Amino acid sequence: MVRTAFVGRLISAVVTIALVVLLVFGIVDALADPAALALGQDAAPEELARLRAAWGLDRPWGARLAEVFAGLVRMDLGVSRIRGAPVSALIAGAFLPTLAYALPGLLLEGIAAIAGGLAMARRRGGAVDRLLSGLATALMSMSSLIVVIAAHQLLAHRLALFPLVGWPLVGSDADVAGLVLLPLLLWAALLLGPDLRHYRALFVRELDEPYLDGLRSRGVPERAVLRHALRGASAGILARVAGRLPHLIVGSVVIEQVFNIPGIGGLAIAALRTGDLALVEGLAVVLAVITVAGQLGLDVLAAAIDPRLRRGGRR
Amino acid sequence: MRAALGGAGSVAAAALAAFVGVAVAAALGLVGADSQAFVAEPYAPPTAGLWLGADALGRDLGARVLQGAQVSLVVGVCGSLLTLAIGGLLGALAGLRGGLVDRALVALTDAVAAIPPLLTLLGGALILGPGVRAVILVIGLSQWTGVFRSVRAEARRLRAADFVRAAEAMGAGWIHQLRAHLLPHLAPLLLTSAVLYFVHAIKVEALLAFFGQSAQELPSWGGLLAECGSELARGIWWPLVGASVPLAAVVLAAQVVADRLSDGR
Repeated sequence: MVRTAFVGRLISAVVTIALVVLLVFGIVDALADPAALALGQDAAPEELARLRAAWGLDRPWGARLAEVFAGLVRMDLGVSRIRGAPVSALIAGAFLPTLAYALPGLLLEGIAAIAGGLAMARRRGGAVDRLLSGLATALMSMSSLIVVIAAHQLLAHRLALFPLVGWPLVGSDADVAGLVLLPLLLWAALLLGPDLRHYRALFVRELDEPYLDGLRSRGVPERAVLRHALRGASAGILARVAGRLPHLIVGSVVIEQVFNIPGIGGLAIAALRTGDLALVEGLAVVLAVITVAGQLGLDVLAAAIDPRLRRGGRR
Repeated sequence: MRAALGGAGSVAAAALAAFVGVAVAAALGLVGADSQAFVAEPYAPPTAGLWLGADALGRDLGARVLQGAQVSLVVGVCGSLLTLAIGGLLGALAGLRGGLVDRALVALTDAVAAIPPLLTLLGGALILGPGVRAVILVIGLSQWTGVFRSVRAEARRLRAADFVRAAEAMGAGWIHQLRAHLLPHLAPLLLTSAVLYFVHAIKVEALLAFFGQSAQELPSWGGLLAECGSELARGIWWPLVGASVPLAAVVLAAQVVADRLSDGR
């Protein structure tokens, strides 16, 4: 029973990835011409035709798509003609700088949001609830641009409390831990607003469950009761984290732009600026694969924590 | 409506109305018409006549901020409507028809949702080129999955309801079901989502403008933020404040309205 449910999820994950590839390479290649993007609007028709032939773009659509799928199986995402480097190598090199601030930032934010949401749900309408609700609304209504630019200019430029860059410049041996601190805190702040609200709603529902009163009536101490509530809410928490995965891997383009971090977001922006379609397509497929795989893993984890999910039931 | 909004909600709704008024007035040329003229020294500080100072080229920053409201309003309204239209129609189709159509659309939604929205946005901007129309289109094409899921869930619930089955027995097609049965049920949800996607579209526009992908001929708040550079370090605070305060205020007001609407539901 458990195994069939897992196999079903696995198959749907593979189908999703195949569809992503079809969407990204199939439709985008049909709509946009990398050669035209590379040459710009004023390119001469014969020049365009020559480049298309040189890049193999004049072959039938189906043949090129089949080539893409064949390449994916070998973990080959093609070559960025603009940069003259394999797309997979470019992407692999950009993961570390993004994860260096995004992963600790997400952990910090997750703990803060879960603790905050639980505190808000325990004393609904109390001072903590109102304070954190206001904070959540304020954070949500700040565009990431404002938060990042204002913090960079005030805290790093004007007050010089933090370094100006979020990753060592080429040839510099600065300490990474010191550099990623402000990007990490900003990343946590950008994610915190919506999560506080989400976890508050989640715990409001969970704390009203009758089984908690059952525990209390048997004299179970409040700390242990809360631990049960946390476990009961675990499926909701993991689902939320799964939904956050695509954001985690991309990081914030604004943070990477402002702090000059050579990460995934920075790579995407550079691809946009140089008209590097192959790199954008490769990024989309790689990140989608990681997202789908991560969500599958979190599903398995949720079933391991919450026995109700193992019987094919849904909360 | 006013009863549902409450005190803070009414203030927020009034602020949104003022924002729309400013944007329309700017479009008609009533306010901020001289946004392209060079009227002062570069980075001239705010004075009585030049209430937000000047930008890097000596243009009136106040006028440019007022003009920026236009782009935000158009993108916010059109982006949110397009998102709701795509997600709503596909969701209703999937939920009401069921079967193979439903499965295919759910698979498509899963695939679109697996691609980080940011890459859809940047890729779309790259293919379509800069401009307001491209921004609206990429917002609609990348954000519809959430609407799809909630509308589909509601449609599936309704499909089992007796009055919908009775209509089906009388030969009603899915378009009729959508208009007569689904839409009235979904109206409160769609209204709240419309405001939330309006907020979202404005933020996305600012982001794309920051990277030079939005309107080319009109100033936009995100573009103004990109122009600030590192001027604050030199004590030049007015470009940052001028571009960020209206952006934050509009988004906050819309957020409060959306919260009040969803609480009242």
